[in-house]
Amino acid sequence: MLSEYLPVLLHIVVAIGFAVSALLVSVLLGKSGRTNRTKDTAYECGMVPQGEAQPRFSVKFYLVAMLFILFDLEIVFMYPWAVVYRETIGADKTILWSMLSFVSILMVGYVYALKKGALDWKN
Amino acid sequence: MSSALPWSILLLPLASAVVILLFTLRSGRVSSFTSVLAALAAFLCSWALFTSENTRAIELTWIDLRPLLYVPLGFVIDGLSKTMLLVVTGVGALIHVYSLGYMRNDAGKSRYFASLSLFMFSMVGIVLSNNFVMMFIFWELVGVSSYLLIGHWFERDAAAEAAKKAFLTNRIGDFGFMIGILMIWSATGSVVFREIAMQMPQIIAHPGFLTIAALLVFCGAAGKSAQFPLHVWLPDAMEGPTPISALIHAATMVAAGVYMLVRVGFLVQSSPAALGVIVWIGTITAVMAALIATQQSDIKRILAYSTLSQLGYMVMAVGLASGEAAMFHLFTHAFFKALLFLGAGAIIIMLHHEQNIWNMGGLAGKLRVTFLTFLVGTLALIGCPPFSGFWSKDAILALAYTRSMPIFVLGLFTAFLTAFYMTRLLVVVFLGKPRTDAARSGREAPIVMTVPLLLLAIPAFLAGFSFVATRFLPLPQEKEAVALVPVLATLAMIAGVTLGVVLYRNREREPLNIALLRKRFFFDEFYTWLIGVTQGTLARLSDFFDHWIIDAGAVRGLSSATWGIGALLRLFQVGNLQAYSFLFGLGIVGLIYFTIFR
Amino acid sequence: MQAAVLEISALVLGIFLLLCEAFAGALDKRRLAYGGIFGLGLILLASFFVTAGPLQPDAVGFWSFYAADPLALFFKRFALATTMLVLIMMLESAPRIQSGLGEFFALPIFTCAGLMWMASAIDFVMIFVSLELVTMSFYVLVAYTRRNPVTLEAGVKYLILSALSTGFLVYGITWVFGVTGETSLARVAAAFSQPNLERAPALFGAVLILVGLGFKIAAVPFQIWVADVYQGAPTAVTAYLSVGSKAAGFVVLLRVLSAFFILPQVQRLLVAVAIATLIYGNLAALPQTNLKRLLGYSSIAHAGYLLVGVVSFSGAAVGFYLVSYLLMTLLSFTVLIVVANSAGGEEISDFDGLSKRSPFLALAMMISMLSLAGVPFTAGFFGKFMVFDAAIQQHQTALVVVAVVTVACGFYYYLKVIRAMYWESPARAAPIAFSQLSRVTMTGLMIAIITLGVYPQPILRALSDASHPVTAQR
Repeated sequence: MLSEYLPVLLHIVVAIGFAVSALLVSVLLGKSGRTNRTKDTAYECGMVPQGEAQPRFSVKFYLVAMLFILFDLEIVFMYPWAVVYRETIGADKTILWSMLSFVSILMVGYVYALKKGALDWKN
Repeated sequence: MSSALPWSILLLPLASAVVILLFTLRSGRVSSFTSVLAALAAFLCSWALFTSENTRAIELTWIDLRPLLYVPLGFVIDGLSKTMLLVVTGVGALIHVYSLGYMRNDAGKSRYFASLSLFMFSMVGIVLSNNFVMMFIFWELVGVSSYLLIGHWFERDAAAEAAKKAFLTNRIGDFGFMIGILMIWSATGSVVFREIAMQMPQIIAHPGFLTIAALLVFCGAAGKSAQFPLHVWLPDAMEGPTPISALIHAATMVAAGVYMLVRVGFLVQSSPAALGVIVWIGTITAVMAALIATQQSDIKRILAYSTLSQLGYMVMAVGLASGEAAMFHLFTHAFFKALLFLGAGAIIIMLHHEQNIWNMGGLAGKLRVTFLTFLVGTLALIGCPPFSGFWSKDAILALAYTRSMPIFVLGLFTAFLTAFYMTRLLVVVFLGKPRTDAARSGREAPIVMTVPLLLLAIPAFLAGFSFVATRFLPLPQEKEAVALVPVLATLAMIAGVTLGVVLYRNREREPLNIALLRKRFFFDEFYTWLIGVTQGTLARLSDFFDHWIIDAGAVRGLSSATWGIGALLRLFQVGNLQAYSFLFGLGIVGLIYFTIFR
Repeated sequence: MQAAVLEISALVLGIFLLLCEAFAGALDKRRLAYGGIFGLGLILLASFFVTAGPLQPDAVGFWSFYAADPLALFFKRFALATTMLVLIMMLESAPRIQSGLGEFFALPIFTCAGLMWMASAIDFVMIFVSLELVTMSFYVLVAYTRRNPVTLEAGVKYLILSALSTGFLVYGITWVFGVTGETSLARVAAAFSQPNLERAPALFGAVLILVGLGFKIAAVPFQIWVADVYQGAPTAVTAYLSVGSKAAGFVVLLRVLSAFFILPQVQRLLVAVAIATLIYGNLAALPQTNLKRLLGYSSIAHAGYLLVGVVSFSGAAVGFYLVSYLLMTLLSFTVLIVVANSAGGEEISDFDGLSKRSPFLALAMMISMLSLAGVPFTAGFFGKFMVFDAAIQQHQTALVVVAVVTVACGFYYYLKVIRAMYWESPARAAPIAFSQLSRVTMTGLMIAIITLGVYPQPILRALSDASHPVTAQR
């Protein structure tokens, strides 16, 4: 019975092994201890780094990101619904109405966000 | 219909009080008529209830936490409560009418009548209650309305102080009452009189417990009925308007204590020890108050001490295990004492608020109706046959004669003193020559005030005859037993009257001067000292408690504990929120350990 | 009419208000609050016409998640009444809200819907979802005046710690599911009473679930957030948090425990938690000088008394206590808002001499303080009375002793407020202005407190059908 969990165990072993080996390899191959100014700077595709390490994003970004996650997650909810839709719709229509009410509540949220100008980057 | 009567008796005065407070506070005229109408209607309802045969108790659920506690909103309707209702609403209605005249030009007329209606409501509530909780609440309401009425002229310091004193003294008694109720409840699991009466055999098995409970309940009665040592408030309460003194502090509220003792007679009478204490308290009050009354010079105070003394008689009767005798005296006393107070009120108002009897004199010719009715009241009070007081006092004395000789002798002595001081009052106020200009210019009172006097004079004369009294209440049986008692009582009365006439005829000032009596046995001084000492001690104690226990122990202890935890957390070099989450996690670990691994 | 109509109409009302806010830009936003109060009032009225029925253990589909028993209906009305009162308080504190006034009034309605779902939830899934609906809206409400650093701090603390507790709740639910294979409370209870139950993991799950709920009701040791969050949040939200959120926590606790009390350790655990909560709440309240903080600690203390009722299996006692708690807490917070609006602070010293500046407010505050302390003839007295009585009948002597001692302790800090109002002299003499609606509300609350203290029968009767959800299923 425990053998069912073998893939999980393998997964764990691989994950830990990868992390440990990556660290080990970098210690072994890299010339540790020898540092200079250039080496310590952030890697930026060959360009000379400018500004701070953590640049500040517009707060709008978070708003848009949150809205994205919100609506994105709702799609996850629709997947299983879509899978069983064909089987159940014949018996009764509840499945359709529940999803419709769900989507309409989402719609309201969307309309509200639009109206409030949440997606308006300029403002 | 039959159940509507008690409801309307109870709620009419309340409705009047509410209407006055909410709507007619501006117009004293409307307020006074509202209140008087409510009182008259309540009286008519009481009369209808009295004549109906209905004795069905009414019970609504109020608080139902059975088996722990069950408080009904219940009325008890029997001969006792019917008669008491008649007395309360009857005397009350007359005094309402009288107040129309007495308070005609008062600025706070609406307030006065609102409080008066509130008082009627609470008093009727006491009479009708069929359980301790309801009775206690109405008991307190009576205390509140009495406070409001005594302090009606609150701009006068003396009135405000008197109101406060009455309230606080009553609170002391009520505290005992409450503990008594709690004790009885804890023993029987019920607060309803009927159920307690059925459970009595269980409590009788514990005489000590029963005695304490009964005495604590008596404590409440002693406060309301102003028995020694809680009597100090009643004379001061005379600072209130005179109709109030007549209604509350003579006829009804002070009788509530006696009524309550009779109502729970089954409780009091099953403890001989408690009865012994009660009878002596009553006797001491009767004698002491009568002694003090002989040396007072304020007409209302004389009557107040006389009230105390008569209440002493009633309590004495309760202590002699005769509720009938107590109620009989309560019944007659309500009429003649209300009459005396109203008469005194008429004199006071006609003499422009003069209360010192030595500033009066020779009023018999000027206030003729007042004089005649006052005379009837006096004769009833001193127990002159065949006036009502004679019969009821005789019943108590006869009872004392058969039970205990010392009580009887003291009772007789009180009767003598009563006759003496009332004669003194009558002679000094009404006979002789007028001693001041105010007395010379006195006129008869207006008709709204004399009519209640006349109406009260009738029962003051008649209420004692057994053919009248038996219609209203059961009379004690011992009365016919001894023929000697009425003779002795009459002799004592005659002696008192004679002495009074001889001493006070044509005097300009007090011939006797007994400081101890005039200063009322120094009770007030003693209480002031006692309160000062206890207050000081308590204040110091609570200061100590606050300073050393709360501040030093709880507060500093806690703050140092908080500080300690904070210090502990600083070791981990974390910020606030982190500390919180850490503690949160710690708590979870602790709970899991506590639940699963122990 | 089905009971679920109530929640749905609350949701629709909330959405409607939100859209009004978005589309009717020029509208006076206070209108939204009036609309919300009116709508909730209608729903409250409708709640008396829905059909209540006993729990049906064999129900399927939606009805296996949702119970419309008398207990649920009672708490739905409770939530509706609370939200209406909170909206009135929000109107009073509206001048201090910088932006987003419309949402400020719409969010409590969503919370209310969540509270109502929660009252009916008899399945862990449903419990979790409705709990989240409540919590999410509180995240926003707590941090509403976020330009005030104290509020911002409160918001962050509440967010993080609440998320933490929710995490534990879900974790606990998974464990219970893992052991029993069920999420429905009735079936979990049945599985727990099987003799071959794996005790340790079941207990582990139960404890974790209790942790999540313990956070909601602010029981020790999950009370740490209370003082800071209560102090920092807008006062109306604090009141909502301390009444609505707590009541919902307790109704879920009552339902969940119907399954968990089969495990003997759970009761022992709750007794310990109750004692700790009583002691901590009352002692910590003693030295407070900020009234809002004081009320925060006092709400911990009251959670302790409520837990005593829960441990004693008395749904009626808990229900009555919650009603009295609702009345007195909301009354005290309303006075607090009004006074703070004028004094600018929430220290007890801001109440100095209030009786001279506004006798009405002082009277209201005095009544609520006396009721919180548990003086006879107030609703608070009866609540404590019933809780103690239930505990005595369950022979929880230790619990009762601690509770009585802490009641005495409570007198000290509640009367401190009364002393400030009636004995100290005011720092300034200006009378305090407040709206007529608030005056009516406060008067109503005062009357209700006194009436319930003198005549508790209506609530007792309403609860007598609803009581004992715990024993009903055992």
